[in-house]
Amino acid sequence: MPDDGQGRVPPALERAVELLREEEVVSPAWRAAVLGAVERDADSRDLELRPRRFVALRTAIAAGIVCAAAGSAATLAVFRWPGTVATVAITPQNPTQVSTLLPVHFSVVAPSAASVSIVGDFNHWSPTALPMKRSVDGRTWEIDVKLPEGRYNYAYVVDGQIARDPSAPQTGGDDFGVPNSVVMVRGT
Amino acid sequence: MKIGPIVVTALVASASAARGQSPGVVLPERLAPATRSAILRLIDSARTVGLPVAPLVDKTAEGVLKGADDQRILRAVQSLTRELGDARGALGGTTDLALLGAAANALHAGVSADELRRLQRASAAGSDALTSALVTLVDLVAKRVPVSSATSSIQDMLGRRAGDRQFAALRAEVEQDISAGLSPDAALKARVGLQLRALDAAPLDARRPPTG
Repeated sequence: MPDDGQGRVPPALERAVELLREEEVVSPAWRAAVLGAVERDADSRDLELRPRRFVALRTAIAAGIVCAAAGSAATLAVFRWPGTVATVAITPQNPTQVSTLLPVHFSVVAPSAASVSIVGDFNHWSPTALPMKRSVDGRTWEIDVKLPEGRYNYAYVVDGQIARDPSAPQTGGDDFGVPNSVVMVRGT
Repeated sequence: MKIGPIVVTALVASASAARGQSPGVVLPERLAPATRSAILRLIDSARTVGLPVAPLVDKTAEGVLKGADDQRILRAVQSLTRELGDARGALGGTTDLALLGAAANALHAGVSADELRRLQRASAAGSDALTSALVTLVDLVAKRVPVSSATSSIQDMLGRRAGDRQFAALRAEVEQDISAGLSPDAALKARVGLQLRALDAAPLDARRPPTG
């Protein structure tokens, strides 16, 4: 509390403190009415809590079901492509392992193609996941893909036909009739 | 008790079980149930022994995209599972996925497990160079260079600490010579000779950094 330098409180402030310390005189009837209202309010809150708990429980269950359904739908949407062919996918075994993504440029000369995409180990061999864009010269199709370090098998889909990259190393054997190419992705 | 996460987990688990799938693996609907089950068993077996399962899933996806029939896809996945295991055994239990994939691919191309071990010994400076070497080796074999000749040449280059640049150059030069009419074996021998002489003349730090 401020003082005048000699340990005394200013008179105005002292009067204000005195006023605050005075007990407000209320009638017994008014006090009883207020206390009764407070008790009723407390009772009503207590009654409301139980339904709210049940609502919270039901909400949690419903949210869980919705999340599960949404998760399943999202998984299917991501790992299947339109049409008759469905692919496969696997979620990371250890999601805590985060790799640095490195930009990789792919290009293939296909001047007469109407559409070109790239498929490989990095996109679950989905022909719609990574469509390539025709370059300004009109002959080359290009795409930049960010990949973690590693070795990837891949191929191009040119107008629906699968073809390996003629400028990249070839994989050994051709389990399915069309050999793949290999790209090594490494940081500097 | 928070039951929301438990409900979600249970639903996801039951959904996976209902579809007959391992956790985290989604198989294509096109596969017949018997093929699906067989591939899932292979994937579970691979996971049990600590082999990477992503290459098996990718191989399945590749087969589906390329229109292979179920039996062919199953055979390819079986073969890859075996090769991954053999490659890991030959390379002393490596956990380097890129190297393991390249080594499995080399086995698939006809390189023997003994040859893999010899190549690994020759590349004591690091697995990155060995991975590059194996990718190049497989590419040479695909170009019809005899396996023994390609393996021997690659081993010589590894022994001189060849790196990505040298292997990429070798591959391009051999391809160029084959296109010009040389036999694959002759093209390799000529180009490897040049590469080895260049490596012998170059200081070590101009080849590749030791990464062992």
